[in-house]
Amino acid sequence: MTAAAVTSRPRALTYGNVWLSAVLLGVMALYPFVFGKSLNFGVSTLLLAGFAMSWNILGGWAGQLSLGHAALLGIGAYTVTLFAIPERAPAWLGLAGPVAPWWGALIGMALAALLALVWGRLTFGLRGSYFTLSSIAVALIIRLVVINEDFGGGAEGLFMPDLPKLFGLDLFDRHVEYGLAFTFVALTLLVTHLLRRSRLGYALQAVREDEDGARALGIDPTRMKLAAFVLSAVLTALGGSIYAIYLQAFEPHTLLELPLSVQIALMAIIGGRSSIQGPILGALLLAVFGEVFRNVFANANLLIYGVLILAVTLFAPDGLSGLFKRRGSKLGTNR
Amino acid sequence: MDPNTLALFQTLAQGLLTGGIYALIGTGLSLIFGVMRVINFAHGDFLAVGMFIALFLFQRFHLDPYLSLLIAAPLGFGLGYLVQRFLLARLGDRLESSSLLATLGLGLILSNGLLLGFGAQPQSINVAYATQTFKLGGVQISLPLLVAGLGTLLAIGLLNLFLYRTELGRAVRATAQNPLGAELQGVNTTWVQAVVFGLGVAFAVVAGVLLLPLLYAFPTVGENYTLKAFVVTVLGGLGNLPGAIVGGLILGIIESLGAYYLSNNYRDAYGLVVFLAVLLLRPEGLFGRTVKRV
Amino acid sequence: MKRTLLSLTTLLLAGAACAETINVGAITSLTGRFATFGKMQKAGFQVAIDEINAAGGVGGNKLALLLVDDASDTNKALSAAEKLLNQKVPLIIGSYSSGITKPLSQYMARQKVPLLVATAVDETITKPGNAYTFRVNNQSSVYSRSLLDLFKRMNDTKAGTIKTVAVLTSNDAFGKSVYTDVTTLFTKAGYQVVSKDTYDQGLTDFRPILNRYKALNPDAVLLASYEQDAVAVAKQVKEVGLAPKVIAGIATGFALPNFLDGAGSAADNMLVAMVWNPDVIYPGAQNLYARLKKALGGEEPSQHAAQSYAAMLAAAAAIKQGGSDPEKVREALTKISINTAFGPVKFRNYGGYQNQNAVVGLITQVQGGKFVTVAPATAAKGKLVMPKK
Repeated sequence: MTAAAVTSRPRALTYGNVWLSAVLLGVMALYPFVFGKSLNFGVSTLLLAGFAMSWNILGGWAGQLSLGHAALLGIGAYTVTLFAIPERAPAWLGLAGPVAPWWGALIGMALAALLALVWGRLTFGLRGSYFTLSSIAVALIIRLVVINEDFGGGAEGLFMPDLPKLFGLDLFDRHVEYGLAFTFVALTLLVTHLLRRSRLGYALQAVREDEDGARALGIDPTRMKLAAFVLSAVLTALGGSIYAIYLQAFEPHTLLELPLSVQIALMAIIGGRSSIQGPILGALLLAVFGEVFRNVFANANLLIYGVLILAVTLFAPDGLSGLFKRRGSKLGTNR
Repeated sequence: MDPNTLALFQTLAQGLLTGGIYALIGTGLSLIFGVMRVINFAHGDFLAVGMFIALFLFQRFHLDPYLSLLIAAPLGFGLGYLVQRFLLARLGDRLESSSLLATLGLGLILSNGLLLGFGAQPQSINVAYATQTFKLGGVQISLPLLVAGLGTLLAIGLLNLFLYRTELGRAVRATAQNPLGAELQGVNTTWVQAVVFGLGVAFAVVAGVLLLPLLYAFPTVGENYTLKAFVVTVLGGLGNLPGAIVGGLILGIIESLGAYYLSNNYRDAYGLVVFLAVLLLRPEGLFGRTVKRV
Repeated sequence: MKRTLLSLTTLLLAGAACAETINVGAITSLTGRFATFGKMQKAGFQVAIDEINAAGGVGGNKLALLLVDDASDTNKALSAAEKLLNQKVPLIIGSYSSGITKPLSQYMARQKVPLLVATAVDETITKPGNAYTFRVNNQSSVYSRSLLDLFKRMNDTKAGTIKTVAVLTSNDAFGKSVYTDVTTLFTKAGYQVVSKDTYDQGLTDFRPILNRYKALNPDAVLLASYEQDAVAVAKQVKEVGLAPKVIAGIATGFALPNFLDGAGSAADNMLVAMVWNPDVIYPGAQNLYARLKKALGGEEPSQHAAQSYAAMLAAAAAIKQGGSDPEKVREALTKISINTAFGPVKFRNYGGYQNQNAVVGLITQVQGGKFVTVAPATAAKGKLVMPKK
């Protein structure tokens, strides 16, 4: 990371740095050793952080506010489970038996990529809020199909069957699940870091700042957005398949609801769309806050999301991490 | 008449009246968009606020919900006015997405505030006319549903008078067409925008009050109606008021006929599918009149 | 977070200090969209605990209720379970809904600690394969079976002939479970299911589908829905002029006392399938009703409160035999047999279920603004009233 490279980038995306990511990963890696008795909270929080990171590739980098990511998460969860259930897997593709979850996850990611391609191709022609509206509609239609048709167990959902061991590890051991969730977050971080240095990353920034200008530079905005959508979808589906293993039983009513999509998006935005680690910070902050104040706000746990998102749009468009950074650069500690 | 034909007529009539309520909600949303290019994600939550105002007045003072309109509508207007004046106006000319996020946050605050205040438990009021019906050539129509339909007509009529017969209405139209031009002509657009947001919210609140005798109030009731309002306004073309009215009626009829003849399981999907189709094929709405400034 | 951990450790130490109390873990939805039911569960737990402690506790030890709210959220329920297991509870009762209970039962089985289910009715919960899940309440098909019994009796005694039915349920796990029961069991019993439909929760316009029923004119219309929709659908049945011989609501939303308030006269003569009502002839039912009502601060208790009460009694019985060791408690649960004001509790393997209490389904009818039990004859005092045509 040379100084010249940093200054040549637009302000918004310059201040992700590898050190902060390393510190974050270190903290997350230490968690199970310190809080070994609160692993359920740890796993679900890491998954949310990973979802927020994945969302941000589309929502932050490509500037396309999706409120339909629950559908992509659901594709990951459903695919890995359906392929692992002996009675269902062979019926699908004439397979001899159940498919191991790691292959199932890959299939889910491929399906999510496919969906993102079609979904994006249809709706990226729409500008601004229209894309957001369409993302809600698409996700809700998918939700209704899953609830009403029998291929995914309908409204009663699915149970995860016994799974083969991965390198001798029991996938239902919470420590192993924590490791999977950690790997997922680490992967989203890695992808985001790589994206930042890639042509795609530059092109996306250009499109986000000025779509017509980017087109004049020979960048095809729809293609770039599609690439971001596919990347975002693939990662979200991966997280979704880990989530399914963690839950072991799920229903469309817990996985495919609009509030989950909204929660993922808001975590990322509150944390900061334009910094690399912002979504993780947002997810960690909101999850810890929700847990600590669960008795105060249990009834209205999204209230804090509402207050924060309003505060962020009014006073800190770069999210909470933007606030720290601004102060940081003023103090000269950041560069 | 044979039972099937009768059922068809009854379904159509009820669909039309339900559509009337959608039209009322959609008109408010479209009005706000037309003037400020803001898609109000809190629209359904304002409707929920209306329901709870009427519920509160009924439970505390035994005030008939229809009478409580006289209190709820001005309250809604005031709430909307303040929200625009002191929250949304501060966003200035920032990205369109920031007003989307701000209203989304506002909606969460409203619905969760109602949760804290009234609890999650659904509450309904039991007024004598709640299940009253009358027959019109064999077709059975609910009284409160008809009142809601008539209320919509009245509200939209009044809005028309306001827009086309008053000085302020002219200012609103001018601001919608060209904010800068209106400003140059001496229109206080900041004020006009606050008035418009107030009106839009008042429409949602009125719809909520009219719905209370038909349904029940619970804090997250708005989510569904926000979506319906989106569908209605996109059908009619964002910012197109007559379009929103027709859009509402169309949605009501599509849903009713779809649920009757196709499948009730996908009732909510019919509107969404039409919505997507219109968005993709005719983003300016079914009735043209492009509002491309998005 | 560190502070939470510290306070948790102090709690643990405090728990170890006074060995005379045995903690029983419970998870339910005190807040969120299932809050109404969570409140009922809490009252049931508390009444049972008070009764047990007043009678000298379990083997001389007092029982203490560790109740955690899951805010109607799966992830919160899972972290609540972990919290309770850290406090070494010998078993957990919970949660309210099927959607939350299923992941919970999987988790508890992995941790090898028994889960007592008191309210969730999804059929799959007590399907074989999970030795740690025990269900005090009924599986959903009990409702359909007891309606079938009643219809058969009506047909036999010529009290009214039922041949065709239409069924409308919510599209969540509970609703779909009932939907499947009705479509399979009623068809098997020779009834014609003329229309089978689901609706999305929170959707509040049932008119088109009710109009279709009106045109199809079935003998019976069966409905299943969560609380808010029950009121709306009952009102709209009246509004569209749908008047079949029988309208039956199946538990959940219809079995709540506030359904009666909300629906008013629209509920008159409706049948409601449930598993407990204060007027059943189990000994102590009236007394339990009075105590639950007191615990609810004067509010009418629903069957969910009684089910939770019975679950807590079952938990106490198992702890009495098994002590604080989860494995021994699990073994004890397979053996206990108690009689409660909710009815007998004994976990059996039968009819394709594992560790399932065989609960008698009741049919009540709304008469004079109250639920009156009208079937089965072995549990009922009231008489079925046919609607006047």
